[in-house]
Amino acid sequence: MNVLDAITVLEAETIVKGEGLEKTIKHVIASDLMSDVLLVDEEDMLLLTSLASDQVLRTAQIVGAAGVIVVNGKSLPSSMMQVAQDLRMTLAVSKFPKFDACIAIHQYMTK
Amino acid sequence: METDAAPQPPPTPAMLQKTRGQTLPVDAHHQPLVLLELIQRLKVRDVMTQEIVSVQRHEPLWVAQAAMKDKHISGVPVVEEGRLFGLVSIEDIIRAVEGGYIAQPCGDYMTTKLVVLEDDMPLSFAVQYFDRFRFGRFPVLNRDRALVGIICQRDINRALLVELSAEFNRMEQTVAQINGHTAKIDANTYMLREFPVAKYDFENAGKAANVIKAAMIERKYPPKIVRRVAVAAYELEINLCVHSVGGVLSWQLSNGRSEVIAKDSGPGIADVEWACRDGTSTANEWIRSLGFGAGLGLVNVKRVSDEFEITSQLGSGTIVRSAVNIALEENK
Amino acid sequence: MKLSELIASAGFEVISPGNAACEVVAGYTSDLLSDVMAHCPEDSIFITVQNHKNSVAVSTLVGAVAILVVHDREIPKDMLDAAQAENVALLRTSKNQFEASCLVAKILSVS
Repeated sequence: MNVLDAITVLEAETIVKGEGLEKTIKHVIASDLMSDVLLVDEEDMLLLTSLASDQVLRTAQIVGAAGVIVVNGKSLPSSMMQVAQDLRMTLAVSKFPKFDACIAIHQYMTK
Repeated sequence: METDAAPQPPPTPAMLQKTRGQTLPVDAHHQPLVLLELIQRLKVRDVMTQEIVSVQRHEPLWVAQAAMKDKHISGVPVVEEGRLFGLVSIEDIIRAVEGGYIAQPCGDYMTTKLVVLEDDMPLSFAVQYFDRFRFGRFPVLNRDRALVGIICQRDINRALLVELSAEFNRMEQTVAQINGHTAKIDANTYMLREFPVAKYDFENAGKAANVIKAAMIERKYPPKIVRRVAVAAYELEINLCVHSVGGVLSWQLSNGRSEVIAKDSGPGIADVEWACRDGTSTANEWIRSLGFGAGLGLVNVKRVSDEFEITSQLGSGTIVRSAVNIALEENK
Repeated sequence: MKLSELIASAGFEVISPGNAACEVVAGYTSDLLSDVMAHCPEDSIFITVQNHKNSVAVSTLVGAVAILVVHDREIPKDMLDAAQAENVALLRTSKNQFEASCLVAKILSVS
């Protein structure tokens, strides 16, 4: 599964297509605390989060995430699009609640 | 009450000589061409803020006051149908509060003798104007004399930092290519970058770390090393922004070692050991809601560092230093 | 599914058992307490890394019957006291939010 697949599975709207759009995802992080995300050692993860802020994108770049999907039907502050473009980070937004998003992704990954 | 806001001619180099003891690098012959070119190339409209909060002449002064408080600005232009009539500054508000006339119309008390800039002027003009005049901001008009933006010092600083950073990147790449060192990690590589970090500047918090990471990726350092440096830089930068009064984040590459140093001039950490513990804190829900979690993240910085040191003195601030050794093979 | 069955199937560490007989019908995963307050369904298991007593307060408000703390986070005493006082189950797992959500979903759908 790559980021584009995840976007499809979560019926997400793509805001910015970044560099990692077609990267194979090895791990999924479903956290809303950026301090937590900074503890993760893996690369090529998909970040699913309910937090809609520029910090999410900056943290994602720091930890080498392949892409960010903001879940829970959040509306994104307008600044996030520019930040995602600057960082070349894929950004999408989905109405799925995080619990359901995890299930949908998991089902796709294990089919 | 039309403003007589005609753009003044830029100060001549002679006028600029020894302003506050230092010549501004705008017209002098010995300044780096890069800087000159940059501030000539960038126009006021590239740097100004276009989202303008304004009031109308009939509105009472307290409306302007509320806008200043709400948006953290120090001046509100008085605008009707795109035309600029004047400006209400924080000084005007203070006088109004003291004089008891805060409910009076803005039009009666606004400043009308305004210095304005034009949107297609080069940024060097704005730099000179800020140096020459004591205003905190300048309204920006277009050719038709309509108000199209506002520019303040912060806008210029931010634009310059971003452009200079990009410019330095380009220059260093050129130098590296000339020396044939693009893909080779050279123990003699030396770089120093310093990033000011302002307290609670959430818009920019983490940007320095992003820049540092991008710079290392460009130079093809091993991914695991890059990740460790980036995490350390980010945690330290966020701390400066969120837990201190602000300060400077510096990054130095020398002798095959990457060092990130966070320096603040705040009150100091009373108990450094306690600060290094991982902990959940319910103290600041607002900051947490912005995505900055509990604790100081210093445990994480320590975890990714080969060397980690905090020096803190009550009353004179804190210095946190994190170093990562850069070997040709991936370590750790 | 009964809370006690869920706990038994999943093998989560039980910090405080809560009301073993109550029904768990859904899962909700979030680290943003404001989101939990707004969207967490009743009779759910609330999956989060937020290991502090505010999580208990919020659970009581929304009618969540259990809190699952992820990443093996330490449970402070005041959180435990609050959970016992409110009769909210307090569980713990070393898994992260994604893995924990998928496991809970799997168990719940089998009931």
